[in-house]
Amino acid sequence: MLEIRDLRVDIAGSPILRGVSLAVGAGELVCLLGRNGAGKTTTLNAVMGHRRAAGGAIRFRGRDLLGLPPHRIARLGIGFSPEESEVFAELTVAENVALPTWTRPEGRPAEARIAHAYAVFPKLRQYLARGGAQLSGGERKMVSIARALALDPELLLLDEPFEGLSPLVIPEIARGIGAIRAEGRAVLIAESNLHHVPEEVDRVHVIERGEIVFGGTLAALRADPAAMAIVAAAA
Amino acid sequence: MAALIEVLAAGLFHAAVLFLVAAGLQLVFGVQRILNLACGSFYALGAYLGVTAGGLALGAGLSPLLALPLLVLAGAAVAALGPPVERLLRLVYDRDESFQLLLTFALVLMFQDLIRMGWGSQPQQVEGVYLAYGQVQLGAARIPVWNLLVLAAAIAIAGGLGLFLQRTDFGRILRATAENRRMAASLGVDTGRVYAAVFTLGTALGGIGGALVVPAAAAVPEKAVELVVEAFAVVVIGGLGSMPGALAGAAIVGLLRAGALLVWPELELLAVYAVVVAVLLLRPAGLFGRPAA
Repeated sequence: MLEIRDLRVDIAGSPILRGVSLAVGAGELVCLLGRNGAGKTTTLNAVMGHRRAAGGAIRFRGRDLLGLPPHRIARLGIGFSPEESEVFAELTVAENVALPTWTRPEGRPAEARIAHAYAVFPKLRQYLARGGAQLSGGERKMVSIARALALDPELLLLDEPFEGLSPLVIPEIARGIGAIRAEGRAVLIAESNLHHVPEEVDRVHVIERGEIVFGGTLAALRADPAAMAIVAAAA
Repeated sequence: MAALIEVLAAGLFHAAVLFLVAAGLQLVFGVQRILNLACGSFYALGAYLGVTAGGLALGAGLSPLLALPLLVLAGAAVAALGPPVERLLRLVYDRDESFQLLLTFALVLMFQDLIRMGWGSQPQQVEGVYLAYGQVQLGAARIPVWNLLVLAAAIAIAGGLGLFLQRTDFGRILRATAENRRMAASLGVDTGRVYAAVFTLGTALGGIGGALVVPAAAAVPEKAVELVVEAFAVVVIGGLGSMPGALAGAAIVGLLRAGALLVWPELELLAVYAVVVAVLLLRPAGLFGRPAA
């Protein structure tokens, strides 16, 4: 579904990604694990078209994404929830969640997509009329993921979905991500904390200084002392 | 008393026109973060298109009573310039404000010369419309109906604009893009198209403002610069990027100028800029602006 091959990205002249390769198959849950500054967010931004690649390839369902503008990439079926959630404060919760149904009207009807987004995070139904600025961090995160889901994407990119959230809401977000995955959507999570990696993850890629240094199952990661040393330093 | 009412009406007329230009400026700044000095040129071009369209239509025997819709259309035709000018401004979107100001001021000067080429330097006006709608008698005061119509048209446009921004999906997409362009694009919003549409709408507002004035006051090529300066006073008072601010700022500037004319004509402009300075000192973000974080 998503295939990143030998991706290189320079920011302000310095190499941030130095040959990142990873793949997410249909319906798979994949984790990109690494410490802050390792290149996780840059990888997701490159997939969304926000960062220009200096080399390599990004393909989604066989299509070359490099050079496409972000809105075209989103409309191909990639939902994105950034680290800071970036819920629109100017819009209500309901408007935030409905927005992707206006930009990508093809596919399933808007009502079904919106209803489905609230089914994953039922708590949001209480806040429909609230402005994006009147939400807690956990609520913003739920809106951000629900909004990405309303795009009806085949693949979801979640950047640090648990970062900075109260321990009370983390299980709720984790349950939502599990539900999304259970319906057959592919999910790529960027994560800096090993403890947040869901047990049901199909594969973990460890990124360090812009390079993938490990790829395999969670069990294989735990059995790999070198990779675990990097991951432990991150947490 | 009669003089006061007449001055008030003249001030509101001026405020209505200023609002249209400032609303275009605010819309473009709010979404594109670009200070578009050329909004004054769109006003001037609207005025001249109004002169030409009005002259042709009235010459062909059109009833002066149809001048209002005709002039609105003529002014709105300036919107045709929106997409190409927006295309040019893309060069400076991500650059320092000084580049934006230089480029848009260059546009003001170029349009001014183009206007001179097309229409000459002499003041031009649409004759026979201003009083064709008659006057309203209020005590001893007489107010041209044209002024009231323009005021009503500006209020209608303000209301329509508010509904469009608050109640339509495109308006919501526009506000989302204004707040966070990158996130909007990540959700499938073609932000380039939104920018072009917003700029074109801003262009049309300025053009309509200009066209509605020509029955009352003559158009001159230098009108563009004059309007830019005044529109900036409006947005400084009201708050940059705020629509209610444009409304309040335009009302304040319009009424202040008219009021100064009544009591102390020499201070007409000084009065406006004294308020600008006071706002900058006491409330730098403007009456409706959000303080910069």
